[in-house]
Amino acid sequence: MGERGDSMPNIKTLIVAVALLVCWCVPAAASATEEKATLHASFSPDRLGASTTIEFGFDVSTVEGLAPPPLSSINLHMPAGMNYTQTTLGLAICQPAALQEKGLAGCPANSRLGYGSAFVEVPFGTGAGHELPEVQALMGPPSKDSNIVVLFYANGTTPVYAQLVFRGELLPATGVFGSQLTTLVPPIPSVPNGPDVSILSVKATIGPNHLTYYKYRHGRRIPFHPIGIAVPERCPHGGFPFSAEFGFQDGSTTSTSTTVPCPPKRHR
Amino acid sequence: MAMKNFAHRSLAVGGTLAAAAGALALAVGAAGASGTPAHAARTITLNDTGHLHRTSSKGFNLYESGSANGSLAGTITLHLDVVSTNRVTAELKVSPRGGSMSGNASGSYRNNGATASFSGTLTINHGTGSYSHAHGSGLKFSGTIQRTNDSVTVQVSGHLSV
Repeated sequence: MGERGDSMPNIKTLIVAVALLVCWCVPAAASATEEKATLHASFSPDRLGASTTIEFGFDVSTVEGLAPPPLSSINLHMPAGMNYTQTTLGLAICQPAALQEKGLAGCPANSRLGYGSAFVEVPFGTGAGHELPEVQALMGPPSKDSNIVVLFYANGTTPVYAQLVFRGELLPATGVFGSQLTTLVPPIPSVPNGPDVSILSVKATIGPNHLTYYKYRHGRRIPFHPIGIAVPERCPHGGFPFSAEFGFQDGSTTSTSTTVPCPPKRHR
Repeated sequence: MAMKNFAHRSLAVGGTLAAAAGALALAVGAAGASGTPAHAARTITLNDTGHLHRTSSKGFNLYESGSANGSLAGTITLHLDVVSTNRVTAELKVSPRGGSMSGNASGSYRNNGATASFSGTLTINHGTGSYSHAHGSGLKFSGTIQRTNDSVTVQVSGHLSV
């Protein structure tokens, strides 16, 4: 009885201490990982039912203006009605191992889906970041669930001295969204034993703009432009919705959305 | 005459009909005698390949037509609807000599680069003429789409009651 009576104050003290610690830690942790993101999207050309190039980009930062934690996943939702049926994008397959080993030279020209650029920064940095000027999107081998796989390739220089290959999988979606490109971002090393690199922004395209494919006819190599994914034939009220969810290595998440305005009605 | 027509058709659907020939002949004879239609169901083993070209397209739909070879040679039409990034539904109609049969299919859709493929099951639920009683389910249905021109090769196999 005496022992129990002696231990009670200690337990109460411990509970109070833990509570104080939780109260102190949670806001601190939250403020350290409060990320924000913006998303941009457009169609080029922006005509209902037409073959198009999807242009999208995002910026990620913290409320404090610091570099965000390294990304671990990006989930880009695209509007319902985007037509993948008649596109001739991705007429060849790029094998990830060949891409990793040989870079773009390891993959056929007809596997290219788009291109872009990115800005990256080490987490302790507060600068404007370093540009990865060459980000390529390529058609990977389909997943075991028969989904389209998009490979993103970046040839890093400073502060990333590596050839990066990210794998995105195009999954069906429901409601106002018809598909979602789910990309797992592996840790991007900076310097040995240094922190992983954070992605600050990405601009990319998926579509035929600036892409040249080749076909062979009577032994001749003939260049052509592939047909892109088609803009939906009807525009929902308020425009075509896009949204993106970002996951970070520290377990935090943030999301954002945007719309592509409905194209002006064509007068005949 | 009925026997002659049947014999001719049985050549088209393969040797599996030989055993059913007598039964069908009896059924046809009985129908003629009573004046009421009669039908003796028989099972055929379908193993057909169709080669089709795109006739039109709209939205997520491809409309194809061509010819089928195999158990039931004839013309074939196919309407493919890519309902999601990895699923497809289809309406298939085969018109061999003496009638036609049609049905619905669904399955997976896979983009392999230069080609896309689909694979699933087919249910035959409608027929005309000699195949007016055609029905069958769980038939294998698969095919390949050449993505540059949307030409399709489709395979259908399984057992069918006609």
